[in-house]
Amino acid sequence: MSTAEQQAQQRIYPQNVLANASLLNVKFLSSCFAGAAAGILGLEKWSGAILFVLSTLLTSACIFFVNCKGRPGKYVHGGLVELVNPGQDNAFTFVLVWTLFYAIVHVYD
Amino acid sequence: MASNAVSLYLDPQIRDWVLFPITLVMILVGILRHYVVILLQSPPKKLARNALREQRALVRSQVLRTTAAYSPLPPSFYSSISDDLTEAFASGTYLKDGAPKPGDTPAGPANPLTDPGAMDGMMAGMKTQMVMMVPQMVIMGWINFFFQGFVLIKLPFPLTLGFKSMLQRGIETPDMDVRWVSSLSWYFLNFFGLNGLYRLLLGNDNSADSSKDASATPFGAFNAAPAGPQDYNKLFKTEIDNLEFSNALYSWLGDDVEDRVLKRYNRLPKTKSR
Repeated sequence: MSTAEQQAQQRIYPQNVLANASLLNVKFLSSCFAGAAAGILGLEKWSGAILFVLSTLLTSACIFFVNCKGRPGKYVHGGLVELVNPGQDNAFTFVLVWTLFYAIVHVYD
Repeated sequence: MASNAVSLYLDPQIRDWVLFPITLVMILVGILRHYVVILLQSPPKKLARNALREQRALVRSQVLRTTAAYSPLPPSFYSSISDDLTEAFASGTYLKDGAPKPGDTPAGPANPLTDPGAMDGMMAGMKTQMVMMVPQMVIMGWINFFFQGFVLIKLPFPLTLGFKSMLQRGIETPDMDVRWVSSLSWYFLNFFGLNGLYRLLLGNDNSADSSKDASATPFGAFNAAPAGPQDYNKLFKTEIDNLEFSNALYSWLGDDVEDRVLKRYNRLPKTKSR
């Protein structure tokens, strides 16, 4: 990675930025699995939402310590906020998978 | 197993024949939409050499300007490229139709309605819009026709009574909990929730994404048109001024490289005042 100490935009190497976009996939998969977990456990209403928040925090913490080595500003353009933010897409995905597994397991649909 | 007093027991066949098929169909239709849009896109028109050259000249000067602040080019290279471009812009050597003769009134930008090239761009935008909208309507109609009048699923989260009319359409029970919903609500859940899956399967720029529908299309159609028929002469003139500004901003990356290397190895002579 070649981001500079200063805010020089030209020093960001596009290929590396693209490679780091696997972050998006990790967020999507983690929201899928969190949805499945919430559904299978039969969590309702707020407990489900809390699980989503907790899983987001856990995923971000793992990426923060293992991949970014404690310096998210160096690897992700928006810094810490972009690392933690799951995005609207993943929130809806969580709800979809949560509903699906809840229905399969608990409603005997 | 359910601890609340009112719990419905639903036939497992509903799950097999409604829940999974709706999801599967929506995934497949999304993928189909993406590939149809790709097939419908006409390849971009190839420009003549002169037209391409004038566009590229502009891009060259823009690249030079953006990298001026921490430029990898040493001063002699930078100033020679900059002077060369300035001179070419001033005399109009890169223009598509040659240098403008004195007394010629420059042609204004072509009207997008009459210029056939820009028209193609707008048609392409509208075509993709149609392709996006039609499958959604068809699937909604299909669901409303075949999967109507029964309870499909229980939502794990509660909703207000206002949603009852939309999500329990066809089920005439005024007292039932809003959490029991019909198939149309499953359609909506899928509609919003599958975007992430499309991004995983089809890559970031996929055309199956419903979240991008509202924001992308109104601007895409207008962005394509103005890029073509622009007055390059005027653009070149502004570029000359811009090049002068970035001349002031210019600084070479390797300016004090000798001092930096010496400092790194702790061999900087003490005689220099720091």
